[in-house]
Amino acid sequence: MIIKVDEFYAFLYKCLEKGISDFDQIILPERSGNKEHETFHFARLSNSKEYDIDTYRTVDPLKMFFFLPREKMVPETFANTKRLIIGAKSCDIRALDVLDKAMINENFVDPGYFHWRRNTTIITADCTRIAPTCHCNLVDGKPYAEKGFDLNLSRYKDFYYVTLGSEKGEELLTLLKKESKVEEVPANVVAGVEEQRNKIIRQLEKQNEQFERTNDYERLKQSQMDNWSNESQTCIGCGACTNICPTCYCLILNDETKAEKFVKVRSLDSCQLNGYARVAGGSTPRPKMFQRFRNRYLCKFLFMKSNFDMLGCTGCGRCTEACAAQIDFRQVVKSVLNAVAN
Amino acid sequence: MNNPYEVVPATIYEIIQESPLIRTIRVQPEKPIPFKTGQFIELTIPGIGEGPFTPSSSHFISEKMDITIMKTGFVTEYVHKAKVGDRVGLRGPYGSRYPLEKFKGKDLLILGGGCGLAPLRSLFTTLLHEVEDYNSITFFAGAKTPKDCIYKDSVTEWRKYDNVRFMRSVDVVPDGEEWDEEVGLVTSLLSNLDIDTAKNPAVVCGPPVMMKFGTMDLIKCGFKEENIYLSMEKKMYCGFGQCRHCVMGEYYACKDGPVFTYARIKNEEDIWE
Repeated sequence: MIIKVDEFYAFLYKCLEKGISDFDQIILPERSGNKEHETFHFARLSNSKEYDIDTYRTVDPLKMFFFLPREKMVPETFANTKRLIIGAKSCDIRALDVLDKAMINENFVDPGYFHWRRNTTIITADCTRIAPTCHCNLVDGKPYAEKGFDLNLSRYKDFYYVTLGSEKGEELLTLLKKESKVEEVPANVVAGVEEQRNKIIRQLEKQNEQFERTNDYERLKQSQMDNWSNESQTCIGCGACTNICPTCYCLILNDETKAEKFVKVRSLDSCQLNGYARVAGGSTPRPKMFQRFRNRYLCKFLFMKSNFDMLGCTGCGRCTEACAAQIDFRQVVKSVLNAVAN
Repeated sequence: MNNPYEVVPATIYEIIQESPLIRTIRVQPEKPIPFKTGQFIELTIPGIGEGPFTPSSSHFISEKMDITIMKTGFVTEYVHKAKVGDRVGLRGPYGSRYPLEKFKGKDLLILGGGCGLAPLRSLFTTLLHEVEDYNSITFFAGAKTPKDCIYKDSVTEWRKYDNVRFMRSVDVVPDGEEWDEEVGLVTSLLSNLDIDTAKNPAVVCGPPVMMKFGTMDLIKCGFKEENIYLSMEKKMYCGFGQCRHCVMGEYYACKDGPVFTYARIKNEEDIWE
């Protein structure tokens, strides 16, 4: 089915105002930045803001809604908030796949992550533009989600082509049909959406032409330490890249016990920080910045691959965007791989 | 659903000052924590933090637990300030255990130094429980000086068994201290070995540098890499392979270890750091 863009937004406001759904929060990308450098960030739906669920990924990763930067794990005090998140992109959805494997498996279930995952419905949207750092095409990604969503929206002209992805999505779709005017899919739309998607893929390919590389990531490990040392020369080790990465989930557990009750608070940690792997007594396996820098790349391309059978990089390019030293993730991978080849 | 971060409160009922820097706290958890020897737990000092420690008592006792801890950092400093009656928290057990079934009927060597004797005491006292199941047990223990030796009170007891050989050495004997046992690095005791090294297992735990050279010496003595069991010390922050602080290549010291065979991890980077 398809739905007019205006009609879809009207549905969202209706959900919020008239209480026809059980969503407590509707979250979607809001435009920020300026004309030259447009950015988007997730915000709660209200009447006064400018939203855009198409374009490209937000500045903030989707993981922060599930793996909160800081959250109390013991005692469990998770709010019973039902959330609808709209406008998530394919790179973020693939990242959730990695996190799902890490956080919900037969040996371990993270109570916080599990809670938020269960209470959240996700509507993804095809990318209709690309950010300068986007490179999902280099890591087997697509600028549109193929699975992992409840509903997916493909913008075509002034309406959305809606794809169903899950049971949760089906409930929402029923509601959407009941409350809004939806239409049958006109004959040319599927082909139109396809063409639109291919156009974005071509843009990505062009943008990342210079970064084309081998996919033999074992070579990252073989690469001389000097190469890593050169690539990391300007790195200041701030950890922005890991905090903003949609698949990084290294955590620290702080004890905030007061009186009789034990309190454990989980926060994000970063392998880029000097004290990260340091044990009591001061010994650390990666005392040098280039070692920690290298660790991040090995983790994304080798460790996560071996643990989850998925690459830990989904090509969102946020690490490059967030880097104070303007280190381009794509360039580092390419340079280090090429250095082995030569 | 079980919350993996949940803590079991426990009370310290006895403290044994083993050496100037090492003490054993004996705790009674509110509910038993059944562990297998070699596994570790996370010990919380309320409001301060937590750290991974291997119980140093036999795994046949689960309602109480001994934990031997060296004063070496932030949390352990508070462990050394703790008093009898203080409340602490325990999570666990986590990680891999010593494979006792592979030791049965064999001539087992245990090689340890310093505070690395903590998990070895757990292993050793567990073995003593069924001591007739093992052909022989050789336990070589090292310390820097006589006053750094721990578990002094158990030495006589440990030497009572026919098929157990317990030898100690200290690196140096400073003036004024008495010592009538071996002097030298703990690895120098290996010259006393009278077992078929190619066929028997060895367990090593100690400071990283001792483990590194201990392992090398064992290989020189003829032990096979797959028969050398190491208790790795890394920053095992969460205990269940989530936080990634203890990652050694594709392995987690907390989940795949802490007990590894040398054969399994020898190709990973920086294992001795």
